[in-house]
Amino acid sequence: MATSGSILLEARDITKSFAATKALAGAELTLRSGQTHALLGANGAGKSTLSRVISGHVRRDSGAILYDGRSLDLKSPREALDAGIAMVMQETSLAPDLSVVENIFLPELRRPGRLSFPTMRRRADEILADLGQDRAVSLDSEVRDLSVAQRQLVEIAKALALKSSLIIFDEPTASLSPSEVERLFDVIGRLEASGCAVVFVSHRLEEVFAISDEITVMREGRTVAASRPTSSLNQTELVRLMVGRDLGAIYTGATAGNAMRNDPILSVRRLSAPPLVRDVSFDLHRGEVLGLGGLVGAGRSETVETLFGLRPRASGELTLEGMPFAPRTPTQAIRAGLGFVAEDRRRQSIVPDLSVRENLLLGHLGARSGFGLGYRAMDEKVRELLIKLELSPDRLADDNLLNFSGGMQQKIIIARWLLLEPKILILDEPTKGVDIGTRASIYAILRDIAARGTAILLISSEFEELLGLSDRVIVMSDGMSIADVPSAYLDEEKLTLLAAPRSSMARNQRVLQDLAVEHDGAAFWAILDDERIFCLNAVAASAATDLNFRAGSTARFEETPICAALAARSQDFVVDPKSGLRSLLVDVRSHRGHELGSVGLVLNPTRPTPPAAALRAAIVERFRATV
Amino acid sequence: MTITTPSQASESKLPPRSALKLFSRLEVRMLGLALVIAIALSILSPYFLRTANLLNLLDQSVVVGIVAIGMTFVILTGGIDLSVGSVAGLTGVVLGLSLRHFPIPISAGLAVLAGAGIGLFSGFLIAYFDLAAFVITLGVMAIGRSLAYIFSGQTSITDIPPELNDLVYTTLFGIQSNVLTLLALYALAWGYLTYTKGGRTIYAVGSNREAARTAGLDVLFYSILPYVISGALSAIAATLMSAQILSIDPLAGSLLELDAIAAVVIGGASLYGGRGTIIGTLIGVFIMVMIRNGLNLLGVSPFWQGSAIGGIIIAAVLAERLLSPRTRR
Repeated sequence: MATSGSILLEARDITKSFAATKALAGAELTLRSGQTHALLGANGAGKSTLSRVISGHVRRDSGAILYDGRSLDLKSPREALDAGIAMVMQETSLAPDLSVVENIFLPELRRPGRLSFPTMRRRADEILADLGQDRAVSLDSEVRDLSVAQRQLVEIAKALALKSSLIIFDEPTASLSPSEVERLFDVIGRLEASGCAVVFVSHRLEEVFAISDEITVMREGRTVAASRPTSSLNQTELVRLMVGRDLGAIYTGATAGNAMRNDPILSVRRLSAPPLVRDVSFDLHRGEVLGLGGLVGAGRSETVETLFGLRPRASGELTLEGMPFAPRTPTQAIRAGLGFVAEDRRRQSIVPDLSVRENLLLGHLGARSGFGLGYRAMDEKVRELLIKLELSPDRLADDNLLNFSGGMQQKIIIARWLLLEPKILILDEPTKGVDIGTRASIYAILRDIAARGTAILLISSEFEELLGLSDRVIVMSDGMSIADVPSAYLDEEKLTLLAAPRSSMARNQRVLQDLAVEHDGAAFWAILDDERIFCLNAVAASAATDLNFRAGSTARFEETPICAALAARSQDFVVDPKSGLRSLLVDVRSHRGHELGSVGLVLNPTRPTPPAAALRAAIVERFRATV
Repeated sequence: MTITTPSQASESKLPPRSALKLFSRLEVRMLGLALVIAIALSILSPYFLRTANLLNLLDQSVVVGIVAIGMTFVILTGGIDLSVGSVAGLTGVVLGLSLRHFPIPISAGLAVLAGAGIGLFSGFLIAYFDLAAFVITLGVMAIGRSLAYIFSGQTSITDIPPELNDLVYTTLFGIQSNVLTLLALYALAWGYLTYTKGGRTIYAVGSNREAARTAGLDVLFYSILPYVISGALSAIAATLMSAQILSIDPLAGSLLELDAIAAVVIGGASLYGGRGTIIGTLIGVFIMVMIRNGLNLLGVSPFWQGSAIGGIIIAAVLAERLLSPRTRR
């Protein structure tokens, strides 16, 4: 293995086209051993394609790659693994029916001769111990039973089993809770220390700043900033590099509050559709953009698919314009006035063998009850809609929608639903794989139809987009709606903490529980801003310390019985003048120094006040141990 | 807001390609192949282009042609129906037995109803339980042939009213009624697939089932319907077959499924579903019948027919893969 800091891989002027789309047009990347390199870019910037070129999944059209001083021309991922280049994908490269140990040594299966399971188990144990994760997974569990974080660990172990000297992490944190992210960062730190070059592909800027040594930014298939030291950049500069202009402008017009505050058009109460949707409630109003926020796997897509009749509903009540609403098929939902732009365009929206025009008219066909097509009658509406969407009419004559860019495809799919003039339009990740220019015009379209009274339900994993577009955000976690917050009160960090899976809270729940019981009062974990508290978790051991907020709720300081303490941010106990409750607030951080909000302790009025300083230290210590 | 992205600009600069597009149409390429074969055969055999032989060609196209319509519907949804031959055999027996008790129209109706019923059975199992079409229709194929033997008492049924002949040999403008039936059914099928909600749904279901469902199309119904149509058309083919020879053999229609699938594939349909046309299938039927007929006229041993047709099937699929502007992964 090369010495730390020396150049391990150099990619120069890489190009790659898929059919009509240029995914890479002059991409550059330089990686050094023992360093973590962040590869950044908006969706569709080409960072994944570049990673896949380096890991041998995709062959480049032109350009040169120098690896360890030699020219590298990979024909398959197999050759990349042999050369010591591994890519950790979210879960796709694991065999779900095989055990953990079999998956870790999957690449060994092609070697001739017998496999030695005892040796494999011993080595797997060693690898996991090296990662400091020897107790995180059992070697004999089937991969299908593992959580996303555990699967990722298996992927990493698989890369290490091959003694890789270059490991690419493709959006590894997309579905991890904050504590799991911390653990992953520890693992990356160990990889670095052992001299491995790490590529970290992400669009979460805070993480990039926390972990990387150098940053390369891509935009529209090109490298626009190569190997800049992380310390030399700030967040605003990075955003400008990624999108080519200030992002603020893209959400202009996102003025909240013009929603007609009448009766909700759609009410969802205690909706469940196991296993992923367990308890979801919210109201959607005319003219509002309602965001559904949460991590991958929180059940957001499954919730809207249930609303649209694509998944069977186990229980819960839906009312549409005051009437009971129980769609069993998408047809019923469409006829009731719903439209649904699904997450996976290729799988759920595009019919490749029908012309672009018929793809546009597919929703019309689904809503129609007659025998014929009724395309003619739609001609005029189609023409008007195309003008509004800035699409040229001769695009309709094209016979394959797949030849269009992602943005164009998405515009056609959105047009498919707009043609039906839906009362409610549901969009699941509407800008996935959509270029930045088309994104802006999709945002403008959504704002426009909302202003005309359509209710919009939006899912986006890009929290910046979600917050920029929505008037209000329903936060989901583990299949439950846990918070309903006006988006003006939120930022990405608060949303990330709110969205953390409830299951990963088991340990800090125990800490809060212990605290509350010890002091016979209440303990909570929350994020505070200047006037509001966002409660992440709360435990009350005594009725005397009822806090008036619970996990997932948002309250103004003056609405709580501990207003004085929340506002004062004192190092000591603060007595609230109104309620008389004594409370202590402690800021907590992870052991990597990540801010994790505040832990609060409210004492039972009958108990004496303990010394604050010792208690603070104890709380910080106990909480740190949970993540 | 007007933002022009680089991709937009480059896409709109594509040259007009209507000429290229016409050639890229499957039917046009296949029609070209059919013409080449016809011209070659007319040069090799002076008898080939005579009216009598051409009418004979049409007559020979009827049974496989009608079954191939149903097969096209099924293949368009991404399925396959291996049972058409034995359904033709079984419904032929149903017709023969019914004719002992009922007049011709009722008997024919019962045969078609039986065919549609069998199609409903297979289609429901395949679509509702998401089972493999290949396996289900393979099972139905075995059951159908077995029942045909049992119901017929293992012998040919020959006590058939001679008036049944009229279904085939009535002529209009000098064309036999079985050929007219064939052409009428093709016209109907073409109209249905091109101009109705059901027809377009069948394409959408075969091309991307999930997207069709999300767009509100009735995927279950239109996944079952093609099997019902296929069963009913097998019965119609069986009726015309019986009417022509006035004898019903439980073995009738053996290997019909292979000819029908071959015609559909030669006609340019994709076995993955979503791609193919009814006109293409008709051309595919003609190509097969012409080759059989031509080889007979040229005095080539009938044992070579299988090789010739097999070669054409492979060539058609290969050409489709190599010439098609878009290929599936």
